[in-house]
Amino acid sequence: MWAPFCIALTGLFAVLTVAAELPTHLIPPGYQPEMSDEERGLWLEMKEFEEHLKRSPMLVRDPALNEVVTRIGCRVAGPYCPDIRIYILRNPAFNASMAPNGMMQVWTGLLLRVRSQDELASILGHEIAHYTRTDTLKRMRRLRKSLTTGSIFSLGLGVLTGVRTNVGEMAAIMNTLAFSREQESDADFLGASMMADAGFDPEASYEVWEMLIEEENYAVARGEEPSIFWRTHPPSEERALALHQFVANLQPVDIEERGPDPFLAVVSDHYVQFMEDQIDTNRFGRTEAILIHQAQKGVDPAMIAFFKGEMYRQRNAPGDTQLAIESYLQSCEGEQPYADAHRNLGYLYLKLHDRNGALEQFRQYLDLKPMASDREMIEFYLENQG
Amino acid sequence: MIRMVLIASWLLAGGCASAHYTLLPANTPVSVGSLSLQPPTAWNEAPKTSTPRARKESRSWTVDGLNLNRLMVIPDVEDGSPIFQNRNKAMALPVFRSDMLPNELVELTESSIEKLLGEGQSDVKAEHLRPHRFGGRAGVMFDLDITLADGPAYRGLAGAFISDSHLNLLVYIAAEPYYFDKDLDSAREIIENAHNS
Repeated sequence: MWAPFCIALTGLFAVLTVAAELPTHLIPPGYQPEMSDEERGLWLEMKEFEEHLKRSPMLVRDPALNEVVTRIGCRVAGPYCPDIRIYILRNPAFNASMAPNGMMQVWTGLLLRVRSQDELASILGHEIAHYTRTDTLKRMRRLRKSLTTGSIFSLGLGVLTGVRTNVGEMAAIMNTLAFSREQESDADFLGASMMADAGFDPEASYEVWEMLIEEENYAVARGEEPSIFWRTHPPSEERALALHQFVANLQPVDIEERGPDPFLAVVSDHYVQFMEDQIDTNRFGRTEAILIHQAQKGVDPAMIAFFKGEMYRQRNAPGDTQLAIESYLQSCEGEQPYADAHRNLGYLYLKLHDRNGALEQFRQYLDLKPMASDREMIEFYLENQG
Repeated sequence: MIRMVLIASWLLAGGCASAHYTLLPANTPVSVGSLSLQPPTAWNEAPKTSTPRARKESRSWTVDGLNLNRLMVIPDVEDGSPIFQNRNKAMALPVFRSDMLPNELVELTESSIEKLLGEGQSDVKAEHLRPHRFGGRAGVMFDLDITLADGPAYRGLAGAFISDSHLNLLVYIAAEPYYFDKDLDSAREIIENAHNS
């Protein structure tokens, strides 16, 4: 009963504090550390890592996607644009991270979830604010102090940058890596201010948090572990509320005339792969929450129905087989039927001993996908069940 | 080198373990759980300490070292169990179900190996799913392409069949180029001829 009141009170204090003094950038555009500075060493290490990152097979190289994400980041960064480099990494988790030298990573799980260029701009603005306020540098120094050997430092570097370290290892040293609550709040407010100055809708800054809160609550209520992002950031309810109040106090800005969202137009080409990666995580509560948000975002209902079918089929809870069948059937009624829906529907009918239903779906699958790599398997069923 | 080892921590363990490897001579029958296997060429069985995520009944064989090539023999997985040890709930390993059909056996293998290699750090893709009989049992075989965030590419070959509600899975994974092809014929013969004792 007291929790909502306490959260509201905390948010109010945060807003009052920020209303008095908006966080400012602590480094100028074009900033370079002094040669003798310890920071310079960190920059060089990060530069070496960045070269390595550029060769990673998990880097998403699609020029259109990189262009639109970088363009949005550049608009938010303003004069800091030349200092920021954004790399898109294939990873189904929601995350973005900033290195002390301006190297930013954005994970595909984030691109899958955000529902507009404004929500993306709010996250990018938050990370850029961490850079201009040298938060990442402070965090690196703290990490270096707490870890003693070069190899462990490399492990920490992996956590900071999002590659080379698996989720379990990330969790193990999470406490070392979280920004302080004050750093996060400052980055929230400065980022929201920057995105508003760039003509993005600052209300997206709290809306994206509200979406993440819903996903997190949905997943945790179904017995799943809190996400890495959730554990590394201050309570999101508080942040969303504080941002909501901060944005309400911003001077009105001209939101540019909106046509089709350029980010959504490009990211939709990657929807299938990003969702397949999410399905592979085997976290069905989180997947279900994402699909609910995808429907609100306007993603093709047939595609959403297919992935609902995938989720229900793999979750396999009581009643899920029927839900999966209904979802696949709905997917198959779309204007562009997804071939794999027919195949997996065929397999489900096999389980239910509906031989004719299965064969019909398998035939449709091969009609739609004659070069399917599992053609030999499907033909085996067609020949032996027919 | 350190970077490569970090991304492939499951392979790392194999390179650093101090326990002994056991020679498996060519053309000598080997039993692993309920599985009967006969390697046509010599392999080395890795000590259990090299493969901490492996199930108790599982064995890992290699020719040149686990980092370069390995054959994972995973016999007798019960309904409701993952194919690797589930030490961390957050890992969300998928579990085997005895009513799984070929598409689901592929998904189980892909997702489990991705989690073993590091979620978000790897992509495991199965191709060319095809039927195969293991002894008298119907099963499947499929190929694997494995991409790591920071490491060499790997390819693989897998065979799976269910007997008495238990999964038997054999997965050969080796680095590209060179190592995958080098021992592919031997690995394929072992997998294709696997059967219950």
